[in-house]
This record gives sequence, C-alpha cells and structure tokens, in this order.
Amino acid sequence: MEQKPKKIKKPRGKARLIEGKCIACGARCQMSCPVDAIEMNAKEEPVVDTAKCIGCTKCVKACPADALEMFFTPEEQALLKELESQGAAAEPDEPEAESKQPAGGSESNIALWKGVWVFIEQFEGHAHDVSWELLGKGRVLADDLGVELAAFVLGDNVRHLAQEAFGYGADKAYSMESPVLKHYRTESYLRGTVELVNKYKPEILLMGATGLGRDLAGAVATDLKTGLTADCTQLDIDKKMRILEQTRPAFGGNIMATILTETRRPQMASVRPHVMPKPLFQQGRTGVLIEEPFALQEDDIAAKIIEIIKSSEGKSVNINAAKILVSGGRGMLSKENFAKLQELADLIGGVVSGSRCAFDEGWIEHARQVGQTGKTVHPKLYIACAISGAIQHLVGMQDSEYIIAINKDKNAPIFEVAHLGIVGDVFEIIPDLIEKIKQSGAKIVE
Amino acid sequence: MHIVVCVKMVPDTTQVSIDPVTNTLIRDGVPFITNPYDTNAVEEAIRFKDKYGAFVTAVSMGPPNAESVLRKAVSIGTDRAILLSDRAFGGADTLATSTVLGLAIKKLNEEQPVDIVLCGKQTIDGDTAQVGPGIARRMNITQLTLVDEVVSVNTEKKTIRIRRKLENYHEIIEVKLPVMMTVEREINTPRYPTVPGRLHADDVRVEIWSNAQLKLDPATIGLPGSPTQVRRIFAPEREKGEIMMGEGPDRTKAVEACFAKLLDRDIVHV
Amino acid sequence: MERLIFLIVCLGAFAFFFKNIFRLVATICLGRAENRFDNLWSRCAGMFAYGFGQLRVIQKKFGYNHYLLFWGFMTLVLVNFEFLLKGIFPAFSLAFMGPLYYILMFAADIMSLVVLGCVVLAIARRLFFRPYFIDQTADAFLILCLVGSLMIAFFGMSACEYRLDELAAGTYMLVTRGVALFLRGSDTESLHASMRVFWWIHAIVLLFFMNYLPYSKHLHVLTAIPNCFFRSKHMVATVPRLQFKKGEEFGISKVVQFRWKDLLDFMSCTECGRCQEVCPASNTQKTLNPKKMVHQGKVNLFTNSKSVFANRPADMLAPAPKDAAMNVPLINGSDKSVSKKAIWDCTTCGACMQVCPVFIEHAPKIVQMRQHLVMEKAEFPEELIALFENSEQRSNPWGIAPSDRAKWAADLNVPLVTQGVQAEYLFYVGCAGAFDSRARQVTTALTKILNAAGVSWGILGNEEKCCGDSMRRLGNEYVFDKMAQANIEQLKKYGIKKIITYCPHCYTTLKNDYKQFGADFEVIHHSELISSLIAAGKINPSSDSAGRVVIHDSCYLGRYNNLYDQPRDVIKACSGGRAPAEMERCREKSFCCGAGGGRMWMEELDGKRIYLERTQEALRAAPDTIAVACPYCLTMYEDGVKDEKAADRVKVKDIAEIVASSIS
Repeated sequence: MEQKPKKIKKPRGKARLIEGKCIACGARCQMSCPVDAIEMNAKEEPVVDTAKCIGCTKCVKACPADALEMFFTPEEQALLKELESQGAAAEPDEPEAESKQPAGGSESNIALWKGVWVFIEQFEGHAHDVSWELLGKGRVLADDLGVELAAFVLGDNVRHLAQEAFGYGADKAYSMESPVLKHYRTESYLRGTVELVNKYKPEILLMGATGLGRDLAGAVATDLKTGLTADCTQLDIDKKMRILEQTRPAFGGNIMATILTETRRPQMASVRPHVMPKPLFQQGRTGVLIEEPFALQEDDIAAKIIEIIKSSEGKSVNINAAKILVSGGRGMLSKENFAKLQELADLIGGVVSGSRCAFDEGWIEHARQVGQTGKTVHPKLYIACAISGAIQHLVGMQDSEYIIAINKDKNAPIFEVAHLGIVGDVFEIIPDLIEKIKQSGAKIVE
Repeated sequence: MHIVVCVKMVPDTTQVSIDPVTNTLIRDGVPFITNPYDTNAVEEAIRFKDKYGAFVTAVSMGPPNAESVLRKAVSIGTDRAILLSDRAFGGADTLATSTVLGLAIKKLNEEQPVDIVLCGKQTIDGDTAQVGPGIARRMNITQLTLVDEVVSVNTEKKTIRIRRKLENYHEIIEVKLPVMMTVEREINTPRYPTVPGRLHADDVRVEIWSNAQLKLDPATIGLPGSPTQVRRIFAPEREKGEIMMGEGPDRTKAVEACFAKLLDRDIVHV
Repeated sequence: MERLIFLIVCLGAFAFFFKNIFRLVATICLGRAENRFDNLWSRCAGMFAYGFGQLRVIQKKFGYNHYLLFWGFMTLVLVNFEFLLKGIFPAFSLAFMGPLYYILMFAADIMSLVVLGCVVLAIARRLFFRPYFIDQTADAFLILCLVGSLMIAFFGMSACEYRLDELAAGTYMLVTRGVALFLRGSDTESLHASMRVFWWIHAIVLLFFMNYLPYSKHLHVLTAIPNCFFRSKHMVATVPRLQFKKGEEFGISKVVQFRWKDLLDFMSCTECGRCQEVCPASNTQKTLNPKKMVHQGKVNLFTNSKSVFANRPADMLAPAPKDAAMNVPLINGSDKSVSKKAIWDCTTCGACMQVCPVFIEHAPKIVQMRQHLVMEKAEFPEELIALFENSEQRSNPWGIAPSDRAKWAADLNVPLVTQGVQAEYLFYVGCAGAFDSRARQVTTALTKILNAAGVSWGILGNEEKCCGDSMRRLGNEYVFDKMAQANIEQLKKYGIKKIITYCPHCYTTLKNDYKQFGADFEVIHHSELISSLIAAGKINPSSDSAGRVVIHDSCYLGRYNNLYDQPRDVIKACSGGRAPAEMERCREKSFCCGAGGGRMWMEELDGKRIYLERTQEALRAAPDTIAVACPYCLTMYEDGVKDEKAADRVKVKDIAEIVASSIS
C-alpha cells in the first residue's frame, strides 16, 4: 500500500510589532484580537503573547499604521518553502471571512442615502467663504459619484444665499427660515439640520471647520449616530466602494490619516477655511430651491444671545490669539523703525511683537514680547525681522505654522527654524515688501 | 453645585517627529501628558469650586495609566476622580468615546445632579473638538463651545452667562443649567499644583469604572461602535526650509518670494 | 553706703543682663535642630581666625578701625572686671599678677586712647564720609558715644587717681599721666570728688552699655564670635534635603522654621552693609538688600518669639511648636517681613556670604522662603510656570523635545555610554550645551579638545536629563528631588564614576547637591580637566587667537567651588603665558552675570540690568575677548556686548572655544 504523503499543516506565524511604526492609535489591534493575545504597554504599544497568538492576522489588518507583521521562525519558513514547492500554498488555508460588525441604524439601507450636501454658514445674511469653497469640492465629489450637489442654509431671510449657492455649483438648495434661526444657536440649528438630513438622506454632508461649523457638526453627528471627520485637508471618492476618503492631519500635524465612514450615513466631514480653492461664481446658473418650514418657537430654545461683540477695540493686545505676527528684534535699532513693522502688519492683518531685547529697549510693551519669559505663540505666519533667534526666543515661536526670517547674519539660529529665510537687510526688504503689497493691490484674507 | 470635568491623556505631540529617513513616527521617549486644553477646563472647574463651593469630579476614558492625568487634576483641587477603563472601550472614535463618557456622566448625575460639564476645546492628538458636543447630545443638555469667559453665574436662578469666542466676533450667551462647556485656552491660566496637593493626589483612590458598571452594548462602544475607520496613515509632505540671499541683485527675488508666500499661505489675496 | 548702692546696682544690672542672655539663648533654641558641633578643632581655628583675628573684617581698610576697637575692648574687659570687683571689694586688685599687671595696665591705658580715637573716626565717618551701604542710625551714635564716654571717664578717673597717688600701675600708664598733667595744682579734696564722679560715670555707663547691647545691633558683640565658631565649613549653596511626607509644611513661612544657626545669624548682623555693597540686586536698584533681609529676620524673630514665649515658659530651651502662631508674617505684610519681591530678586551668587565678616548664610534662607512660596502657595513670577513644567515634563528648561538632546552630536561620532561603550569619563553635556545653539558651539569645542587629548569619554545622548539646578535654587524642591533621584539612579545604572561638566550649575549640583541624595561621583569642570590636560602635555595650544582676554569668574565655579586658577591657567596657556586681564571685581569678589539662582528664566523689570552692569565693567578692561566658563554667563555677556554695541570688536567666548581654536 502506498503511503499518502503526510499532510503538512501550513504555519500561520505569529504577529509582531515593527519597531517604531506604532502610532498608539488606541489599541485597535488589542480590540481585534479574538484570543486576548495582545496587551498594551506603558507606551500604548502592543505586546503580543506569542504563546496565545493563533496567527489569525486580524490585528495586522486592524492596524492603521501597518505596524504589525506576521513573523515566521526559520523552521516555519523552511516549511513554507517546502509547501510552496509542493504548490500547496496556492490553496487558501481557511478563507478569512471579512468580518464587519453589523451596526444598527442607517447601515442596512446605505443605498437609500444619496447626494452631496454642503452647509452654508452665514452670519447676518453673509455666507462664510468656506461654504463656497466646499461647494467647489462638493461639485467634484458629486460628479465622481454621479449624484446631485445640494446646499442647505438656515437663518432668517437667507433665501438669497440659496440662489448664490447655485452660482457656486449647487444643483439644489434647501432653506429653512425662521426668526428663531436669525443667529446661530446649537439647539435650533441642530434640530433644523437633523430634520433636513433625516428627510432627504444625503450620503455626504460637508461643513466648514469654523467655530460655528465644528459646534454644529459634532452635535449633528452624535444625534445621527454617524461618523464625523474633522479638519479634513483632502476629500476624494473611492469610486469602487462609492465611499468618501477623508484625509486629515493627526498627532499635531505629524502624520496624515485617511479615514472612512463605511457603515453609517451621512458621511460627515468638516474642512478648514482656505484649504480648498473657492470656485468661480457662475452668473446665471440656477437650481431647484426647496423651502422647509421650521417648527420651533423662541421659547423652545434654552440659550439666549445677550450680546454680539464684533470689535475687539479697547481690548489689550493679545499676541497669543493673533494669526499673523510681525516681530522685531535687536537689529531693528530703534522704536521709530518699529513703525515700519506696524505698517507691514496693518497691510497683512497682523500684530507687531518682538524679542526680549525689543522690550528691554522700550520699543514694544511687555505684552508683545515673545519667548521664554514672554508669550508663547503659534500664529499662521510669523515674520521675524532682525531677530537672531536665541533659544529663549525660539521656544516662544518655533511652533508657528510658517516662519519667515529676515536677518543680515546668515549664521543666525533663526534660520534653523525658518521656512523661508532671507539673508538681507530688513531696512531694505521690509519697505520693498510693503511697496510690493501696495502695488499689487493685495487685500487681507478675512 | 456639581461640576464634571473631562480630561484626556495624550501623547505630547509636540515631541513627536518624523524620521526623515524611514518616514516613520519617532515616539521614543515621548511622554503622555494631560491634554493641554483640558488643563484649562480643570482650572475653570476649580475656580467654580473656589467661588461657589462646587464639588468637582474629574472623568477620563483611557488605559489604566491614564490615572496619572486624573491625579494631576486632584492635585490642584478636584474632589473625585473616575477612570473609565475597559478593553471594550479601546479603539473608539469620537462618537463611541462620547457614548461612554456621556453615560458615565449620566450615572454621576443620578448620584448628585451635574450642573456643568467642562471639556477642553479639543485634544492635541485628535484636534477634532467633537467629544464635548457629543457628550452634550448624549446627555441632552445645552452645549456651549469655545467659551473664553464665564461672565456670571446666578446660583439662585441656576443660570450662567458666558462669552464664546468665534472667528470674528464674540457672543454673550445666557442659559439655564445644566450645560456642557468647552473652554478656550485664554479662559484662564492653570494653577501650579502645591506639594501638599500632589501628596494628597498620590493617596487618592481613583475609581475605575469598566463596562461591567456601565453595561453598554458592546456594539456601540470601542472599535465596533466607531463609525469612522482609519484606512491608512502616511507622513505629510513637509515644506523644507529655504534660505535665500536678499542683498543687492537678489533683493527683488527675495521680496517676490516673500510676497508669494503671503499669497500661498492665504494671508493676502489679489 | 556708696558701696552698698553700687552693689545693688551692679547685682541688678547683672541679673538683668543674664536674664536677657538667657532669653536670647531660648530664642535661638526656637529654631529647628541642626548639628553644628562637628569638626570642633577646625571650628575653633575658624573662630580664632575670623572671630578674634577679624580676618574678614580687615579685608576692607576701615575694618582696621574695628580691629583696633575690638582689641581695645578685649584688653579692657579684664581691667573693667577689676574695676567692678573693686567697686564692691575695695581691697581687690589684679596686682597679684605681678609684672603682667603692669603690662596689662600699660596696654589698657594706651588702648583706651586708641579706642577713643577709633570712636572719633567712626563718628566722623558716619557724619562726613558715610558709605551708601551704611545706614544713619541713632543706635550707632548712641553706642559710639557710650564707648567714647567710657574712655573719657576712664582717663578722668585714673588721672585723678594718679594725682592722688592711688594708682598702683600709674608709672606705666603714659596717657593717664599725660592727662594728669592738666590736673596739676588741684587739691586733694576736689581730686577725690572728681574721681568719684568719673568713677560713677564709668560704672553707670559700663553697666548700661552691657545691658543695652541685646537691644541694639551691637548684639553682635555677644553673638559674632559664636557665629564664627558655628559657621559652615564650605560656602553654602545648598539647602537641606526635605522629606516629602503628608502633613508636613515645606519651605519656610515662619521665622521659627529656620534652623537655630539661622536665628543666630540674624542676631549676629552688625549692619556693616558689606553684603549690600556687593549684592548684584542691591547694586542695580532692586528690592533685595541682604542686610535689610537679615535685619527683617531679626526683628521678625524678636517680635514673634515674644508670643511664642507668652504661650510657653521662656525658660525652656526647645524648638518652637509646629503650630506656633506668629504675630508678624515672615514673608510680605509689614516692615518686619521680607518682601516677596526681594525673595525673587536673589541670584544666589553668594557674594554676600563671601564678604560677611561673621559668616551669615543669606542664600539658603532666601531659597527656603522660595520653597514655601512655590511648594505651599504656588505663588511665583508667572514666567516661571513654563520653566517648572518644562523641567518636569521634558527635563529641560525650554521644553524642547528630549529626543533632540543629542542632535548636536549627530555628525560627530560621539560614543554613547548608554550603548555599552566603556569610557573613563561621562561628559554630562547639560541642557544649554545640548539645546542652545550658541552653547552647542562650546560643546563641540570641548568635543574637539577631548578627542585631541585622547580622553576616553562618552555621553548619555537622549537619555541625559536636566540636573535640576534652577529648580532647586528657585525653591521647587519637590521636582528637584525627583530629578536628582532619577539622575543618580541612571548614572549609577551605567556605572558612571567620573563626570565632566561644562556648566558650573550642573557641576555644583552633581557635585554638592547630589551628595545629599547619596551620590558620590567625581565631578570635574572642563576648566579643571583642560588645565590638567595642558599641564600633562596632552594638548598643546599654540598661542594667541583671542587677543587681550579678560576673564569672568562665574559664581558657582569660583565662590562656591573655589575654581579660580584653572580657567586662568587655561587662558594663560593659550596666550603664550600671558595671564588674562582682570576686572575690578574678580575672583572671590566677582560680580554675578545676573542669571544664577533661576534668574535666567525670569524677567528683570526693576532697575539696571545686572548683565549690563557687569558687561560694562568687563568692557572697561578693554578686552578683545571676554572669557567665560558658564553657558549662562555666555548668554548674558553676549546680550550685554550687543547692547553696548561692542559686538564687532569684543567676542564672548568660553574657555573651551579659546582652546579649541588654538589647537590644530
């Protein structure tokens, strides 16, 4: 009798961590492990108990950072090789059922949700630019999906915005008007939005990541029990899956993550102003306006707006809150020269600040001092003029989003942190820049 | 008055960097800290305690070592500390997180009615600003985000008047308690813990609540309860520092480059 | 009858005096325990040198005036002893001493004149050429007048006696004989009567003087010598280690929480103002005046001890109870309290302690008051919160990511002891040397020297932590305690025995402060190491790259650790054997750059900037290079030189940079 070749069991290996790749996402691998073989250490990184690991690869798939891999011992590798030569590897060992937790709510009828919606944020009847920027992006997404792009607006006497939305690419516009909606309040806007969404079921809902937008988006997503991805910098459609790919910075901007909302609808995302380009306004473009009534009365809303303060005049300077800082150091030489910095700051909507030396010399007041013993700032733009960049100064400003440094000394430490460094005389560069801005007729972006 | 303040343990993201060669995250030696925005929330809670004799409970959801951030809150005056920690809570996105936190605070509310829930404006690792509103919705109370000043509290009528900071304006709003507020960093300067405070915090018992206490449906929490999933992670493109000469004939070019950056960074537009 | 009255007066005066002395002892005992009875021989030696020998007093010219007064007094003590006993037992005399007696009387006679002269000089100084650091007080004039009248009475009395031929040693008392010349022709009766008047004046003034002492700044007559005996063997830069147990109070907010020697310090102050004269804060119009601080400590102690004794018999020589209530707060609140501002003004430079003739220890007192403010009250200048949190969370003052600590070494191929490299020396780089771009140039310079000399060395890389110097000087002892323990554990883990530091603050902390935590490393400052490398011929600097060099002694290197010659030797070797130029205030008298004691991290809002005062002094020496051996001093001088618009002609360099650029 011929002996059948012994059936060799294909080794499945063990999961192991690839050093340095874990991002401490919050124990997704541990959650996914069916046999409790993963414990998290103090650094929030997984420790795989190889005695328990059954090699199911669930954790490897769950890891968003590809930080887990399957590991085979030399003996196992030899076995694998043997199997491969026998052609056994061709047949899958066990078909791994793609397990997706069945989630309740809107999941079962995802197909019913159609269309891309953009929330038109308005203040006293004026739309925020981010809304138009989102319509531009929304247009692309809607076209990729082959669905309609709709704008929706809440407020008092805001129908004109619906019309404007058509010019920026919307096919449809929903408006809800009521004196109660005149000023934004979470409660009223939330109720209105949820009502509209539940009635018309859009698959994608976009909002601006402004103070108002973030306030509303978080509340709406919770009530709709759906996913919300904040501060996206990029939005794409995975056409195969008909799903929105939402890319956003995480970990303080150190990594980018692409996030999906697979099982719930609508897929909600917020986007910061000025991230997406604003589309051109198309004069005469029209669409369908649908008006919805708003049922709530003033007495139904708990929050009362007592006052809206628009000007910040009379308030002391707060360089912490400034988005743009024009900062001067020792090389400015005199208080009079700071007037040039003020002129530039005025042109670009910034505030003047300075180094400790500038304060010492009496060129600026202490509230404007940046650094170890002054303020720590993180503006969008920091222009360092004639600041050499001693460590005491650097620690106060190096987390600025963008740093332009102008200094005569090419070895100045400020250039180590600058994104754009100009080796030159501030007394030539700054006036030239002021002139350039004036000539070009550039306006401050609000 | 009962105040619940939410705190989160986060990696100190300002210490995280990307290895320029392998393009991976360098997390070595990066410590976990209290989310900086939350320190302002705790401080504000303690100010309510100082002013109105409020009882302050700090709540955190996280792994067992998140206890440390609760102890920090206790060291400056928090009365009670609760850590929501369970394997089942892991991998949660903002929705699943607010489900757990919301329910825990509801439970606290049954023990002693909660007047104010305080959260930081956002966290430094996620930057979403969604958990605060999420909690408010779960508890069905008024939400006030971006509060940068508590104007007044009327303890008899149980109302609060606050100021919210929005992009180009401020709002003064009055509501009846209870309320959920997320606070801006400008609202206060967190106090430094005294040593007696720290020693007290070392001894305090941090209550650990697991899902055995909360009894939430496992499908609504943790990874299964999170509608958002991370598909992939990659290193961002980084703008490399650029140094250019700005003297003599190079000056015009340098000024042009500078102006181009102003346009690029959306400082000005033409 | 007259004798009986005198007996009663004398007994009363002595009873009162001893009651006061006892109370003073009881007051000192209110302080906390501390052993200052070790090394008795060296303590005695110090007492003779500084107490009787007045070595520190005579460091200033006018100190000789005090020296003479002091020795005049010493001589007169015996004579006055005879005087008092004779008043009661007229038959008593020291004449039994034989020839010694004549010598004694001869000396007393001369010394009395000398003392009188000194008193006149002292009064004239206070009236006509009073230094700014001496306050015009009635107390001082009263004492001087009392002493003066005592001398006049003595001469009056003995001259009369001489004329009456009642002076046993009269022949040898030249001054008395001179005075007696004026009394020629007086009859016996009037001589006798005048003698009695002078005698009584002398007796009353003497007894009054004795009893007035405890109420005046001349209490130092009684306390100064003991204070020299109990002085600290080394300059004290450290504070006692604390035990962090629940229920304890941390730092000092009540005067009785000081240790007993501190209280004796308060009582020993003569208000000579020498500390004020050298204090960088006082010199630049800040609130802190060390003399005033000590005086405030003294009046605070005397005011509060009354209430402690009221609740407790004064005849109990024991520390004050923990819960003892104070009438006047020690910190802020009245003119008998030390102001918070003053407490934060101190750079802990130690100049005050260096000049104090009676060894008062100012800096530890200030640091312990800071401890109370930081640890119990969380009250401190707001700019410090960043420092405190950065130091605790990221183990460096600026809050830079710890993973950047070894960045400076990225291309230098520096051995890491953390990776098992066996090295003789650990180079403990320090926060400035690792993070500050300017100080990093010093670090690389030192790296070059170490390699050139073939020294076996390594670093801890990213694992190195801040030593905690600023935290300790600023009173954040709790965090310092944790940092010290963690550091020592780590250094021991890697088997470190010898440590090279470039920063004097790391140096003193690792060397002196860590001793309290059980550390016993051999800590070497780079100036020591480089000078020994040069002496051993391991490196041969070719001369002159730095031009005319003026040297600055940093406080924690010089005053606290006695390293004055090493940096000078190094510069000498680099300038062809030429010694560096000196500033007006140098070596022990060096003037702080303004950054020590945690002042580096604080705003300096009042008065003139300390670094400017010092830089101007350095520039007066017309240097090409200002040489420093401390990263803080480096920063301060660089700022100062720029402020003075001298950056083009004067470079500020660490000694390691000077050496590195003169070796190939």
